[in-house]
Amino acid sequence: MSLILRTTLPDFDYLLPSSLDELLALKAKYGERAAVIAGGTVLLNLIRLGFRYDYVIDIKGVRELSAIEYREGKGLVIGAAVTLRDLENNEVVRDKYRVLWDAVRQIGDFHLRNRATIGGNICNPTLQADTIAPLAVLGASIEISSMRGSRRVAIWELVKEGGGLLLDPDEILTRIYIPEPPKGSRGAYFKVWWIAGIAALAANIDNPRERIVRIAYSFAPSPKLVEGVERIFRQEKPLKVLIGDAINYIKTIVTPPSDARASREYREHLVEFGTAYLLRKLLGVEV
Amino acid sequence: MRISLTVNGVKRVVDVKPNERLLDVLRYRLGIKSVRAGCLVGDCGICTVIVDGKLVKSCLVLAAEANGSNIVTVEGLSTNMRPSPVQRAFVESFGYQCGYCTPAFVLTAHWITENMVNASDEEIARVLNSVVCRCTGYKQIVDSVKLALKWRREGGER
Amino acid sequence: MSSEFRYVGQPVKRFDVDKVYGGALFASDIELPGMLWIKLVSAPYSHARIKRIDCSEALKIPGVVAVFTGEDFPYKVGIYAADRDVLARGKVLYYGHPIAAVVAESLDIAEKAAETIDAEFEPLPAVLSIEEALSPRAPVIHERLGEYRRASFINPVPGTNIANRVKLRKGDAQKAMEDVDVVVEETYRSDPQSHAYMETWAGAATIRSDGTVEVWSSHQSPFAVRNLLAMSLGLPVSKIVVHHLYTGGGFGGKAGLLLEHIPVLISMKLGGRPVFLQLNREENFYYMAQKPGFLFKMKTGATKDGKLVFHIGEYYLDAGAYADYTVNVIRSSTFMATGPYEIPHIHVDGYAVYTNKVPTTAFRGFGILELTASFEQQMDILAEKLGIDPIEFRLKNALKPGVSITPTQEVLAEDAGDPAGVIRRAAELIGYHIPPQRSEEPWKVRGKGIAAAWKGPVQPPNAASSAIVKLNEDGSVDVLVGTGEFGQGTIIALAQIVAEELGIPVEKVRISPYRSTDLVPYTWQTVGSRGLYSDGQALIRALQDLKDQIKEVAARAFNVFKDEVEIRDGKACVVGKHSECIPLERLALGYTFPSGETIHGPIIGRGSHVPSGTTYLDPETGKGNPKPFVTFVAGGVEVEVDLVTMQVRVLKAVLVTDARIINPGLAEGQAYGGILMGIGLALKEAIGFDEIGALRNPSFLEYRLPRVEDMPVEMIFESLNVPQRNAPYGAKGIGELTALPWQAAIANAIYRAIGVRVKEYPITPERLLKAVKEQRPDILTELRKIMVGV
Ligand SMILES: Cc1cc2nc3c(=O)[nH]c(=O)nc-3n(C[C@H](O)[C@H](O)[C@H](O)COP(=O)(O)OP(=O)(O)OC[C@H]3O[C@@H](n4cnc5c(N)ncnc54)[C@H](O)[C@@H]3O)c2cc1C
Repeated sequence: MSLILRTTLPDFDYLLPSSLDELLALKAKYGERAAVIAGGTVLLNLIRLGFRYDYVIDIKGVRELSAIEYREGKGLVIGAAVTLRDLENNEVVRDKYRVLWDAVRQIGDFHLRNRATIGGNICNPTLQADTIAPLAVLGASIEISSMRGSRRVAIWELVKEGGGLLLDPDEILTRIYIPEPPKGSRGAYFKVWWIAGIAALAANIDNPRERIVRIAYSFAPSPKLVEGVERIFRQEKPLKVLIGDAINYIKTIVTPPSDARASREYREHLVEFGTAYLLRKLLGVEV
Repeated sequence: MRISLTVNGVKRVVDVKPNERLLDVLRYRLGIKSVRAGCLVGDCGICTVIVDGKLVKSCLVLAAEANGSNIVTVEGLSTNMRPSPVQRAFVESFGYQCGYCTPAFVLTAHWITENMVNASDEEIARVLNSVVCRCTGYKQIVDSVKLALKWRREGGER
Repeated sequence: MSSEFRYVGQPVKRFDVDKVYGGALFASDIELPGMLWIKLVSAPYSHARIKRIDCSEALKIPGVVAVFTGEDFPYKVGIYAADRDVLARGKVLYYGHPIAAVVAESLDIAEKAAETIDAEFEPLPAVLSIEEALSPRAPVIHERLGEYRRASFINPVPGTNIANRVKLRKGDAQKAMEDVDVVVEETYRSDPQSHAYMETWAGAATIRSDGTVEVWSSHQSPFAVRNLLAMSLGLPVSKIVVHHLYTGGGFGGKAGLLLEHIPVLISMKLGGRPVFLQLNREENFYYMAQKPGFLFKMKTGATKDGKLVFHIGEYYLDAGAYADYTVNVIRSSTFMATGPYEIPHIHVDGYAVYTNKVPTTAFRGFGILELTASFEQQMDILAEKLGIDPIEFRLKNALKPGVSITPTQEVLAEDAGDPAGVIRRAAELIGYHIPPQRSEEPWKVRGKGIAAAWKGPVQPPNAASSAIVKLNEDGSVDVLVGTGEFGQGTIIALAQIVAEELGIPVEKVRISPYRSTDLVPYTWQTVGSRGLYSDGQALIRALQDLKDQIKEVAARAFNVFKDEVEIRDGKACVVGKHSECIPLERLALGYTFPSGETIHGPIIGRGSHVPSGTTYLDPETGKGNPKPFVTFVAGGVEVEVDLVTMQVRVLKAVLVTDARIINPGLAEGQAYGGILMGIGLALKEAIGFDEIGALRNPSFLEYRLPRVEDMPVEMIFESLNVPQRNAPYGAKGIGELTALPWQAAIANAIYRAIGVRVKEYPITPERLLKAVKEQRPDILTELRKIMVGV
């Protein structure tokens, strides 16, 4: 046994398919022996630090995976290889999908976002992903494709019970579908380094019966959309009181992990006060 | 595999291995030593180069991925041995010390002057936040960028 | 002082512009023809006996030239104590301890081969903290500690893990305990931290056919590398040449011998072939020495009227597996024991303690960072207990030049500086007594804090410098000095001095940043903020010598006496006569009379300097003078504590020193750099270890450095410009000083903001939350009321 801290990357072959069919065929052929590379900001680190693949398949040659499409009333379709910079610069994302935009702008740094993609973020095997919670509150689903066909699953189903991604070895993430957000909705993302992320979305604030409030947490390994928050906010009580009720409820549901980066105790503090901060900001409640 | 890159305006054809990073190819195959490794994990930004008009950390890019692209390093900012105004602004404002991170900051500043002439202090900081400097405490780097922007807006130095 | 001089005191621009324009060369850029690459293999155990290292697979791989293990290199390496193996021999002393070196045609091959090396270990009980290391049952890490070559002033305790023990005794602290009204007893700690210079270490070596060892490496002090190589490997100095290129930051972490001995020894084994070793960032965390963690226990007493009476301390540094400079760092902490204050009775024991962790070494501040981080909290706690304003308390006890007796029992020099002045001015600039403006967000609370420090270079009494100045045919000069350039810009300041002395434009002064030990004169080391002071004085003497020769030649040319010649504006002139001048270029090679007769030949000045009056210290009491000068500094901050995230942001930082400044542009750069580094050390940076002693965060993804976003909104740097006697233009070093006050100033400001004291650095959100819960749970109750509503 010995410790080697590598500088160079181990050997692999680089493949650059130019169509989706070709890409899926390669993935079907090589399965777990191949990793797809989008921005590479996760993959190349993993490979240097120990993950081994025989093939690295670049998905950036497949045009359609780099497209963002918005259709009024139908929503947004984002290709898996769309960069975070493109999302950040996209006016629809900024205006209508604010919670996602807010999260994207807080990922890594300016230079990194020129390469990093949303697909890579979602498929990060270390499960540190700041886009998942925002996508969850937006009700997004993802399209997973292989030679066998495509399937669509809700974003919060991405991580399997007990960890690990839902993708099979021959599958890749191709698109992210985000429905039209509730009219007049607002969103914001609260983040502390790689310790905690909280996404919140709110709409129809002034009308309790139609009020929408959704909150999701991204703690590795399992991002969580807290169901039941919405019900609390449908009650006819002052918002201030509802925020308190919601937080007390959330505290019983969300049990953050303890790891090398932060203790559970600190994360619990963030859950409580970070959520309070976020909800007050979104719902316009003064302290 | 054979790739072609346009580096500082000159087309270069190089044989690379699939596991080589753009950083290594620039340094070892093309001899461009201003592009340096700092952390190799994409954090410190010292290996920053401009690829097709975008600021990119070259330690997290495979050379193969850069095939066909247009790359700018600090060597490409000066013309005929004349440093660019951005480079002169760094000298004028003491925007460097040990010099190891300097090319990355100069390229970042160059990009800012090309793309965000009217950037606010906050916007400048957001972009500069990508690169780490251990010596300067950043103040004189920020001053350098602001000076370069001022020259740019006013059309020429001083 | 700016108006008196044309160049000194002016913000003359740096001339190492190739760093900005391209073309600058660092050791990591070295590529020698036919160069082989070295890859180190290390041990995944903190403390273990090496049972077997099997390199046979690696040697079969095409392109692999050789594999070496510890037994191939039976040398002990080290500066103050030779405690380090080249590669581990017999046992490994820390997780990540190198056990083998693979040499191959390319790094790629070397790394593949390294992965085939199979080693077997027999784990031994490991010591992972200072407390464990000191326990009488602790396993002894260096079993042959007593046999190591060491400097006379280093006192290891064989049979224990104590690498050095230092004593400071002044007055009678035990007795004085009876005469005080208030006593504060506290313990301060810090995790180990990292220099995190941006250039990871790299070094190349080759042996010329005449047997000369040539080394290129990333270091601060070329002559220290040469000296330590010679001493450790038993090579004659005459057979070693160390080349200094630009060095990408050092901060004390590249002060002495780094890993140069590895390429040197390997090249020697391979018939002199050029070999190269470059660490990546993870390796740099494991293989390069870091800043030690500390544990400082302090008991300090004062009378009701605010006079400090006694101080008792136990200062411990966690030296890791190899102590390098740390054994001397603890001397610095101990001998400067009580900061810039006078205390009549002091009793401090300092210890550098071996543990099974990454090796440690010097860090900007050399022991005074640790001291200041601790003692300046102690001062605030005492002030509060006494009910005295912290500034007033500090001023009352501040050292008085020419009057006060220092901890090492000398009278503080008359020209030592202005300890009270820097404190007063920093308090003024930060508006210490003006309450901070309230944040608009009620969960953000602001506070102001201050801390002061003193520091001088703790160096051996014979820490010498020398300089050579050559006058060129065009009236320009070339300056040869041995000091290293790794960002501080000392060579720019030195050039300003030359320009000033000769009255020539600074553009006509050339000081190459690159140097080799066989081509430039000696300087001891580039450490301890001594570069400008020591090399500057040697340079001034060289300039005197040069001017003397110029005058001599000119006097003969003018047929006047030597003292009738003056040098101004790049000319030698007869005093008082404007028309009778000879430009320096016409004297550079000597003077040629109209007849053709030529006198003197090329003019070359030389000068040497060694500090006067510094001595060894008494081993029992510490009495003596360890430092040629001291600089005083005070820093003030305004911080904002975010109770939601428990993150602390520094909104404003002010730094005041008493030093005279040669170049304000460079000095400001040091100041801002020191502030940001201080913020990192205070709030963010920690090297973490897991249960078995492996690093948790040997990567910049997890070792968090200050970035632009951490920059205070406002930073002010001021200097009181107090001239230092026997110093170049009265200037003294500030490089390290600028980093000193921030940890304590920030901790004090947090306390003044929310009434919570954190005595462990860095003050991470995690630690702050814990402290709030323990000390001020009401803050959270209140916060809950306003934010959550319950
Ligand atoms: C310095 C630094 C800071 C960072 N900060 C953040 C942060 O603040 N928040 C955050 O969330 N992340 C952060 N990251 C992680 C990373 O940059 C982002 O998650 C990024 O979005 C990943 O995208 P990518 O395109 O670079 O992924 P890649 O590295 O290309 O891929 C990531 C993983 O997903 C797989 N993959 C990629 N695309 C697909 C696909 N279409 N189908 C199936 N599998 C796929 C890859 O095989 C790989 O395993 C940081 C990384 C670095 C280096």
